[in-house]
Amino acid sequence: MTSKSKSLVVAVVSSIAVLLIPAGSAQQVSGPFKVVQVTGLTGVKDHTKGSLDVENGQLHFVHSKASFDVSAASIQGIATRADSERAVGGTVGVMTMAAPYGGGRFLSLFRKKIDTLTVQYRDSDGGLHGTIFTMPVGAAELIKKALEAQGARTTAPGEATASAITAPSATPPNKEQNQ
Amino acid sequence: MKRLLNAAAGLSVIALVLAVSPLLAQKNKGGKIKASAIQVEMIQSDEIKLPAEFQVALYEHLIRQLEKSGSWHVYRDGDRNATGVDGLVILQSTVRKFKEGSERARQVTTVAGATSITVHCQFTTPDGTLLLEQDVNGKVRLFGGNLRATYDFAKKATHIADENFSTPGRGN
Repeated sequence: MTSKSKSLVVAVVSSIAVLLIPAGSAQQVSGPFKVVQVTGLTGVKDHTKGSLDVENGQLHFVHSKASFDVSAASIQGIATRADSERAVGGTVGVMTMAAPYGGGRFLSLFRKKIDTLTVQYRDSDGGLHGTIFTMPVGAAELIKKALEAQGARTTAPGEATASAITAPSATPPNKEQNQ
Repeated sequence: MKRLLNAAAGLSVIALVLAVSPLLAQKNKGGKIKASAIQVEMIQSDEIKLPAEFQVALYEHLIRQLEKSGSWHVYRDGDRNATGVDGLVILQSTVRKFKEGSERARQVTTVAGATSITVHCQFTTPDGTLLLEQDVNGKVRLFGGNLRATYDFAKKATHIADENFSTPGRGN
């Protein structure tokens, strides 16, 4: 590889990093929030992007194909946690691993901060469900407070561990709609 | 002396047969335990501090993998429809070890930062009789986020269930 193409690769990698880093840190917090449903919602594929909001006593998730509501009254536990993810993720992120001169590894150093929101709720048969969302920093706590105000059970800050969120066996009725 | 040794060996064989016979009684000809449905209980983590998203991801991936195998009717924790189901197996899982690695360390070094979870799985009857118990490990070594370890665990646990239980869905 000539020195010209080397410098081209370095320039491309640097410009991608420069473009992505501000996007990760300048996230606004105002509902509805842009979220990623990591796993858990019945009938919704893992890692589906959508928007999340709390309205009329429901946790309302909307994505391109459908919407999903969970009644606040059926929620047994909510936990929030600060996390981070790759600035360049998904398929492109995997492909960058093959970039020459450790370009992929260099990109892996850049991460954006995110919040994780974990919700446990029961369906109309009493079956326990859990779902995980990732969202911009600060959004998880706002959603948690909104749900708490509408009757959802939540875990105290700093107790966001498995033992704290373990749901009791009591089974209040709920509404679960997968439209 | 030879007679004594023979008698001791005979007694040992009888004792072994007596100890194993309750387990054998529950198995069919293929060496598998008969079952028709499984109820997955929420993952417990009393001794280990496990983040809530890992607990939920373990539970949800386990249910999804069992459903995907197509051989079970899978009930969730607390599902009232599971009451009185014939041949129901309860799966109780307790986290024994958890090491949260770092995705960044994995991708930068390719050798460090692995996430691993060890879960003790117990398959019981609804009245609490133990059918099978085993430790199952989930790991993520290079690609993917830390939660991918929960998917690895679910696949392995489902494989163990499929290997040890005979369900109508598979016709064996």
